[in-house]
This record gives sequence, structure tokens and C-alpha cells, in this order.
Amino acid sequence: MQMNEKKFSDIKNYVLASMILVPVIPFILILSIGFYHFKTSIETSTVATMKRIVEDHRQLIEAFLDERRADLEFVCDTYTFEGLTTPATLRTVFGHLQKESKAFVDIGVFNRGGIHLAYQGPYRLEGKLYKDADWFQKVLTHGYYISDVFLGYRNVPHFVIAIARRDAAREWVIRATIDSQTFCTLVGSVRIGSTGEAYIINSEGVLQTQRRSGGGLMDKPEEEIDFSTAQNQTDSFLKKNRDGSQYLYTTAKLKDRQWLLIVRQEQNDAFVALRSTIFMTAVIWVAGGLIIIVIAFYLTHRIVWRLEKIDREKEQLNQQLIGASRLAELGEMAAGFAHEINNPLQIIKNEQSLIEMTFTELKERGELKDSEAAAEIQDAMSQIQIQIGRCAKITQAILKFGRQGEPVMQDIALNAFIQEVAGMVEKKASVSGIVVDKHLAETEAFVHGDPAQLQQVLINLFNNAIDAVVEKHGNIGGKIFIETRPDLNGTVSIRIQDNGNGIRPENMKKIFSPFFTTKPVGQGTGLGLAVCYGIINNMNGTMAVDSTCGSGTTFTIRLPVK
Amino acid sequence: MESLKMMLVDDEERFLSTTQKLLQKKGYDVLVASGGAEALELLRIHPVHVVILDVKMPGMDGNATLKEIKRLFPMIEVIMLTGHATVESAIDGLKSGASDYLMKPADVGDLIQKAEEAYARRQHLESKIRVAQMRKLMGSPREIIQASEE
Repeated sequence: MQMNEKKFSDIKNYVLASMILVPVIPFILILSIGFYHFKTSIETSTVATMKRIVEDHRQLIEAFLDERRADLEFVCDTYTFEGLTTPATLRTVFGHLQKESKAFVDIGVFNRGGIHLAYQGPYRLEGKLYKDADWFQKVLTHGYYISDVFLGYRNVPHFVIAIARRDAAREWVIRATIDSQTFCTLVGSVRIGSTGEAYIINSEGVLQTQRRSGGGLMDKPEEEIDFSTAQNQTDSFLKKNRDGSQYLYTTAKLKDRQWLLIVRQEQNDAFVALRSTIFMTAVIWVAGGLIIIVIAFYLTHRIVWRLEKIDREKEQLNQQLIGASRLAELGEMAAGFAHEINNPLQIIKNEQSLIEMTFTELKERGELKDSEAAAEIQDAMSQIQIQIGRCAKITQAILKFGRQGEPVMQDIALNAFIQEVAGMVEKKASVSGIVVDKHLAETEAFVHGDPAQLQQVLINLFNNAIDAVVEKHGNIGGKIFIETRPDLNGTVSIRIQDNGNGIRPENMKKIFSPFFTTKPVGQGTGLGLAVCYGIINNMNGTMAVDSTCGSGTTFTIRLPVK
Repeated sequence: MESLKMMLVDDEERFLSTTQKLLQKKGYDVLVASGGAEALELLRIHPVHVVILDVKMPGMDGNATLKEIKRLFPMIEVIMLTGHATVESAIDGLKSGASDYLMKPADVGDLIQKAEEAYARRQHLESKIRVAQMRKLMGSPREIIQASEE
């Protein structure tokens, strides 16, 4: 039994492990792969979007700067140096420029020496010298220059666009200041998510426009941005801020300039869709896992329970089989005994005959007088003869019963047969105080079957009846009623009724099932009624049972009459 | 006609002696043998008309003895004494030439009756044989000459 328990424990563990692992592994795999692909796809598309934004924005800013330059070029082409250095003309020009774009703060004309010849704007800058100014030197070298943001004479952050012109007479420079506010608005007006922003830094990392998240013009933010991106290329990378938050950057270099346009967004903000997905995935993962585990436990429990039940039933069947085979053996042994007993029985019979014969001779010869003693001896001898006959009948019955051969179908006179069989069990019944009441039909009916088998059926039913009655009434008051009656459709019915405890309703269905017994182990095989049912069936008859709990049971056999 | 001569064959000594006594009291001539081999020996010296043979015996059992008797003394009638009827051995016995069977424990009266019946059968058979033989002897001289020339 202990080995069995361990075996079931092993089976349980094995089934449980399989039922959990087999669904869980593909489940996790699918979730993980799905999530990974989704994450990758989100990241890729987000970055692509940002890159597009930075690209578009770069083009916008470059267009702006190009237009401003074009404006100045147009002015230079349209007006002469003399005209531009005339304050009135310059004022008109400036008015036109301002109509073009509100970004122009002022305009000025310089000579080759860097002297501010003419100025139109809010500041007092005429006459100032700019020879050493970085932008002035650059414009003379390149012919066109846009400066970084610087303070200059006015001490206000600004940047300028300058064009150098050369004609036969002279070399001169025209310069316009761009309103940093306007420019900042232009650049910084990108809004992405909640933390997305755009700004420009120069090659030294100095802000050229205001940054929404913190940093005014000409401030230098702490993060080191790699300035070496090639022209016309957009880059993207992740970088950590001073306060620890990670940002997604996309950068683009402005052409003709050493300016870097940066569009950046806090990473979590950029990949916000991912977070809800992570959350959902986790929930599904946990919930799914739990469901799988719970179901696995439940199913395993059921399976093992069922296995144990089947095992127990098998064990039970085994026991019953052993019981049945032991009974069969007993039957064989009984046949052997009967055989053996017949021999001494034969001798006793002969001896008794001899005694009787000698006794008679003595009486005839007159050697024995009639006396009480002689009468007693006579009586005793006839008694011996009777008892020998009884023994013989018993051994014959046992041998008939134990015989296992092909059924020998023949016509059986039912009433006579039942009388004979009832006679066999009457002694057993009377020992338990059971009254056997026989009501046999008036006319003899003939049925076709094997007498040995029919005898088996009747004895089985009688024995069951006796057991039931004894169980209820003990030694007094038991009644068994046997009746034969001709029935309709050319059948005869045999009824065996007892006043025992009856059969429980829940057992009624199983009563003819093989191995079903209500007797304790070792006392009944449960084969009796099943075999009887089969025998009657083979005789083309029917067998039915009717029972009332507490008052008794009736078995009714119907057989076709020959 | 000779009077009926019987032989009882059984391994139980007491059965043999008592039954013999009973039968002799009734006026029959009875020999006894306690085994198959002994029976055959005895039959060579003292042939009988009817043998009553127990089926279950140690050594040479009933059926074997029956076959031997029928082989050596075909005219002897054999009645089987069996533990229970219609068992395979009794049927076999009848197939092997036994003329009847008795169930143990057997009544002496039944025994005598069956033996007489068997004896009567044998007498009938013997007379038929005699008639046939006589007919043969009374055949035409030509037939006799032909038969002797063959």
C-alpha cells in the first residue's frame, strides 16, 4: 500500500508538472515574443517620427534663414551703397524688411574698416567700430555670415546676418539683426508629448535658442552632445539628464552653419505606449499563469483521484476474482470428497444388506425369537438403510453440482424438478426455522434446458432467500414461498418470495451485475445472480426482481413452455 | 445353459468379501479380484460370463482393464461400477464395450438384476452365433467343396 501511495504521489507530481509547464512555456514564449516585437516596433516608429520632425524642423529653420539672407541680398541688389547709407532710404528699406519679417530688429551698413556708417534700429550703434568683431571678419572672408548669438554693444543676446558686397569702388557690409525672441519661438514651437522640445546649440554646446525645459540664451547645458554628426544627417540617441531622467535625442546639423538642431523628449514620455503595454502584458502574464496553475492543480487532482479510484476498484475486482476462483476450487474439492465418500458408503450399504440377510436367515431358522430387542435391531437396520440413502443423495447432489460440462439441453418437468431441488435445501431452511411454502401449478409444465444449470439457479435463489430471511428474522418467523403458475404467451412463471429485509432501491439496478454483493468479503462472490441471469437468458426466459425494503423480495423467472 | 458366473473387481477388500457373501447366499457363483492385473490372470484360468468392474482403481484402472478384457475375452459382459453416472469415464466405458454401468453405492439387488440382464444378452448372442455356424455347416456340398478348395 505504501508503494502505491508513493506511486500516486509520483504520478500526481508528474501530471501536475506537465499540466503547468506544457501550457506555460508556449504562453510565456508567445507573450515575450509579442511584447518584444511590439516594443521594437514602437521604438522604431517613435524614433522615426522624431527624426522626421527634426528633419522637417531643420528645413523650416534653414528656409527661414535663407529667406532672411535673400531679403538682404535683394536689398543689396536693389539699392546702391550711397542710397543705403542715406538714413531716409535706410529707414524705408528697413520698413520694407520689417514687412517681410518681424524678425528684423535693425539694419546697418558698414565700410571695409568696420565702421558702422548707417543704422536703423532701436539702439545707438552708429559710428561704432566692428573691425575686430568675429562676425565682421568672417563676413569679409566668406561674403555671407550668420553669427552665433552674442551680446555685442547692446548687451542683449542676439545674432546677425551679414552680407559683404564688392563693387568697383569699394567693399562694404550690410548687416541685419535677427530678433532672438522671434527666432526662439520659431525654433522652440515644436511640441511633442509633454516633454518634447526643440532647441539649437552651437559647436561649443552653447544654447542659441531658449530651451523650454530650462536654459536661457547663451547658457551651456551640462550634457555633452556630440557635434560631429555629418551634414544632412539626422542622428538619434539616448542620453541621461543631470536629474537622472533619460532623454531621446534627435539632432540635425543646419547647413552652412555650425549649429545643431536638437529635438528631444523624455524617454518615458516618448515611449508612453510601451508602458501601458508592459502593464497589460504583466497582468496577462500573471493572470494567465495563475489560471493555468489553478486549472492544473484542479485537473491533476481529478485525474489522480480517478486513477486511485480505478486502482481501488481493480484491487476489489482482484479480491473478488480470488474469491471466485477459491470457490471454484472448493467445488472441485467437494467433488473429490463426494467421490471418496461413495466408496466407504458402498461398503456400508453392502454390510447392511448382509446383516439384514443374516438376520432374516436367523429368524427363518428359528434361532432368533421375536422380541423387543430383535424388533429394535430390525428398526435400527432399516434406519441405517435410510441414512445410507440420504448420504448417497447428498454426494450425488454435490457431484452433479460440481460438474463442469456442456449444458445438456433436455425437457424438464418443472414441478417435479422444483420439488427435488427444494428438497435439497429444505433441511437447511428448517434448521433456521424457515417455513417453506410450495404452491405448484396443477398441471405439469415442461421447460427446455440443462437440469444442472436450472438447479444451480434455483439453489442460488433459495440460498439468497434463506440468507435474507435469517438476516431479518433470526431463527423464527422466516417464510419462503415458491410458486409455479402458467402464464400468458405460452410461458410458465416461477416465483420465489421471501420475507427478509428486501433490497435497497439503490442496489436494485446493480443486483444482476457481476461481482455485486452485499455480503462481507469472503462470504459471497457476487457471481450468483449474474450467472443465473445468464442461464435463464440462454433458456430464452426472463428473470426479474421486485422488492420492498423491510418486507421482502420476490424473484420471478419466466420460461417458455414446451 | 450354464448358470451365471460372475467376477467382482474392486480395490476395496471388504466390499469384495461382503458382496461375494451376499451373492453366494443368493446362489450365485462369484470370483473376486482386487485389481485389473489380478482379474486378467484369473480370467485366463476361470472364465466367467459377467465382470463387475470398479472404474477407479490404483494401478491398472477400470477403463484399461475393460479394454484388455474385451480384447482377450470378447464374449465376457462387463458392467462398470462408477462414482457418479454419465461422467466421462462411464461414457468412455460404454464406448469401449461395457454393456452397462452402476452408480455407487449400489444396491445388491440392482447389481444382480443388471448381471442377469447382461447374461441374458450374452446367451442370446451365443445362440445366434451357434445358429449361424450350423447354417454354415448345413450348407450345400458344392459350397463346402468350394470353401475347402479356397
